[in-house]
Amino acid sequence: MDAVSDFLRTYSTTIAVIGVNALLALSVWLTLYAGQLTLGNAAFMGVGAYVSALLGRHLDTPFPVALLIGSVAAAALALPLGSIVFRLRGVYLAIATLAFGEIVRVVLLATPITGRGQGLNGIPPKTELWHIYLSVLVVAYVLWRVQGSTIGRAWAAIREDEIASASQGIAVGRHKLAAFVIGALIAGWAGGLSAHVTFSIDPSDFGFTKAVQVLVFAVVGGTPNVLGPILGAGLLTALPELLRPLKDYRDIFQGAILLLVIIYLPRGLVTFVDVRRTRRLSRIGALDVA
Amino acid sequence: MAEQLYNAVFIGSIYALFALGFALVFSVLDILNLAHPTVFMLGAFIALFVIGTLGLPWFVALPIAVLVTGLFGIALDRVAFAPLRRRGAPALSSMISSLAVTLIVVRLVELRYGGDFITFPAGTVPAFVFRVGDATFEGIRLAIVVLSVVLMLILTYVLRRTQLGRDLRALAENPRAARLLGVDVDRAIAATFFVSSALGGLAGVLLAFAYNTLDSRMGVPLELRAFTVMVVGGMGSLPGAVIGAYVLGLGEVASLVYLPTELRDAFAFGLLFLVLVLRPTGLLGQKSPDRV
Amino acid sequence: MRRLVAVGIGGVLLLASCGGTAAPSANPATATVAAPKPDIKIGLATAKSGAANFYNPQQSNGALLAVEQINAAGGIAGAKLQLIVEDDGSVRDQGITAFKKFIEQDKVAAILGPTLSAVAAGAHPVAQAAGIPVIAISNTGLGIVGKCDYGPCDWIFRASLGEQSAVPETVKAATQKLGLKKVVIIYGDGKFELDDLTIFKDAFKANGVTVTKEIAYTAKDVDFAPFVTQAKGENPDAIVASSLAGPAGKILDEVAKQMPGKRVIGGNGLNSAALLSNANAGLMVVGTAWSKASTDKTNTDFVAAYKTRFGVDPDQFAAQSYTAMTVLADALKRSGSATDHAAVKKALEGVSSLATPLGAFSFTADHDVKQPTFVMTVKDGQFTPFQ
Repeated sequence: MDAVSDFLRTYSTTIAVIGVNALLALSVWLTLYAGQLTLGNAAFMGVGAYVSALLGRHLDTPFPVALLIGSVAAAALALPLGSIVFRLRGVYLAIATLAFGEIVRVVLLATPITGRGQGLNGIPPKTELWHIYLSVLVVAYVLWRVQGSTIGRAWAAIREDEIASASQGIAVGRHKLAAFVIGALIAGWAGGLSAHVTFSIDPSDFGFTKAVQVLVFAVVGGTPNVLGPILGAGLLTALPELLRPLKDYRDIFQGAILLLVIIYLPRGLVTFVDVRRTRRLSRIGALDVA
Repeated sequence: MAEQLYNAVFIGSIYALFALGFALVFSVLDILNLAHPTVFMLGAFIALFVIGTLGLPWFVALPIAVLVTGLFGIALDRVAFAPLRRRGAPALSSMISSLAVTLIVVRLVELRYGGDFITFPAGTVPAFVFRVGDATFEGIRLAIVVLSVVLMLILTYVLRRTQLGRDLRALAENPRAARLLGVDVDRAIAATFFVSSALGGLAGVLLAFAYNTLDSRMGVPLELRAFTVMVVGGMGSLPGAVIGAYVLGLGEVASLVYLPTELRDAFAFGLLFLVLVLRPTGLLGQKSPDRV
Repeated sequence: MRRLVAVGIGGVLLLASCGGTAAPSANPATATVAAPKPDIKIGLATAKSGAANFYNPQQSNGALLAVEQINAAGGIAGAKLQLIVEDDGSVRDQGITAFKKFIEQDKVAAILGPTLSAVAAGAHPVAQAAGIPVIAISNTGLGIVGKCDYGPCDWIFRASLGEQSAVPETVKAATQKLGLKKVVIIYGDGKFELDDLTIFKDAFKANGVTVTKEIAYTAKDVDFAPFVTQAKGENPDAIVASSLAGPAGKILDEVAKQMPGKRVIGGNGLNSAALLSNANAGLMVVGTAWSKASTDKTNTDFVAAYKTRFGVDPDQFAAQSYTAMTVLADALKRSGSATDHAAVKKALEGVSSLATPLGAFSFTADHDVKQPTFVMTVKDGQFTPFQ
């Protein structure tokens, strides 16, 4: 028992960061599931983080309210942005959202109230582990339910063929925008939670590197269902800690593992489970039934 | 003012030289090669190895570095991209495998040379200085300016007028059709990676010479710039990438001169954003972008 | 093939988890012999990978050398020191986890580090809350000791000369010797650079020097010619580089080219061994915490021992981590019990004029280092006093 509580106390930050990253991966999963590659979620995370931390600091806003306002602020920013950028697709969309993210970072760097490059320090650690994991659970459950609903099927249809979807009367633009805005809402919430874990935030926490990292979580985990992003975030966040004994070589092993996973499971970690199940089902002759 | 103009042209040339190889792989294979900054860095370190450890002069080191990075490009494809192509993996996975290679290579370089920036041994870097009236021009910098344009012209010529170029363009349009038409697709892909990485390596060596400094993360600041340049110029267009690079260089210096300095970086990304929204084909884009 | 990969990954994870738990239990075998005292564990969190990994191996080697010397001389009242080094990856959450591991698993007596101020902003509050003494060995920014954003920070000590102390000394010396009237500051957008900018502006004001222009660059800038050209337009008496060593090297080169004869005044960021090989390093004026050339015997002994042990000359970061470990050992000896954190903290507060490579060492009431600033320039590839 002692060992378990020791472990929890030591790795509580890592465990918290895994949960936050899972939320972020889920937020980008939403748009990926609708077939849209966006890289703005690090910036939305930043908006949530800064807004909630500033509200707590200057207006003594209660923590849950501050979190909520932070994530609504991120969504409010996503709405007009999405209306503009969803004229684009593919890499163009990705780069437009990336450019938006960099603009947010520059604005954070130039604004006195956000502490400019020094960031905000001494943010009280109000986030408990259960806040994070309850959020992951709720978000994953809701997204899982939505995936099976009319909206979820519309997203999948848009991903497979936009023109065909439109011809079947699906409001393509509105559905894509909805995925984007809900994603921003989740990312903003994750940002608020994370700001109250690590005591301090600065603009470099929400830049290009973070945007790519979040995307990597989702893709390595796999996009067929909500389990993928959670798995991806879990493995890739835990990896640096797991590889600690390798000391100077841990980046090398981390790279090698990433490379092997993406080559052998290019559709993500979750497909590993699928591969196993398919094999088992075929062995007992029940593949058709499943 | 004339000085700032020269500065801007030089910066534009750096962006162009870096972006050429990056744009080549993207235009032919639709791969965003996030290992390109690593190849760039590797070129500089190979030159350092040849000069510092083997004790050979810079004019030997330069072609060796270019050749080795070119070969590294082929290896990169074999390790990180070819397996994904064979498995018909989603386009995004190639971004991730190139990131993985970056993690490994950067760390290997750091284990050998440390993480701090280092310089070439004293007196081993080419230092020609030309004087025109009052102004002085350094040979290496002039070379960067000239090469960025000349290499773009050569590449464009190769793509438009040679058999290899026709193969590559067929490959860019439709890999399966290209194979049916008798194009040696594997050779064409290898050629693309060789040229792209050799260009990246050349850029790395020249830049390391120009500043006489190199470090394991020297390519990172150029990565986002290369995206910008490619989009502004028009994806799939090499002359576009070079023009985009000069637009960005000029814009950055102009905003340093005329804008409050904290907001200078917003210029590059504001420009990128505007171009994407208003003119997604870029300045010289030919391929129609995916646009609804 | 898939199975093979899975087994491989599983193997690595298993290996990792075993390594994690097996390492700390150090000396069960020796326990039978006349009950020697258990080792005193000291944690060092330092950037071995990530953006700031260039501080190593010097930063960990300095501490390691001190530990080896102290153990060779009989340890702390018969107990040996055991140095546990963890990589903070130059990022905040890994730094926090390293601190928590020291506190919860290793049960260390005290912690040194982490390397970056931005990581310290997350890691130090953890030690403060747990009541474990920390000595910062390379954080130079604002809010590390004394008055901290996260509330009381009385468990945090600092052995690295803060820029609040070093920069005013540098500015004073430069103003007097160069007869400065107006300067231009070129600064980066990171936490360190912006702290420096604030401190430089205050220092120039106090010395009656006008800062005519502040020019910002970003971490993504490659070429510094336009910034120096812009600065030249103001016709300043000197350029101030509030930057890290990489950009500083390029600023030095451009100043040499565009504004011959002008000097570059910098903060701790310029205080880097990597800059010594820059052809224009002679232009810089920088305040440092340590002078290799100092003829004090403690220092010459340290430089010689370091060179023998690691084959290279120490830099400032090695000297600072060596000093911090020496100071800590002194406190541990006087504390009476290494496991009594409050006693160790009290003993650290009582460190008085201890002989270290940095000079006679004491802490201020705010737990900051009390030491002279060496205002230096570079001559023949070596830091030498600025005359």
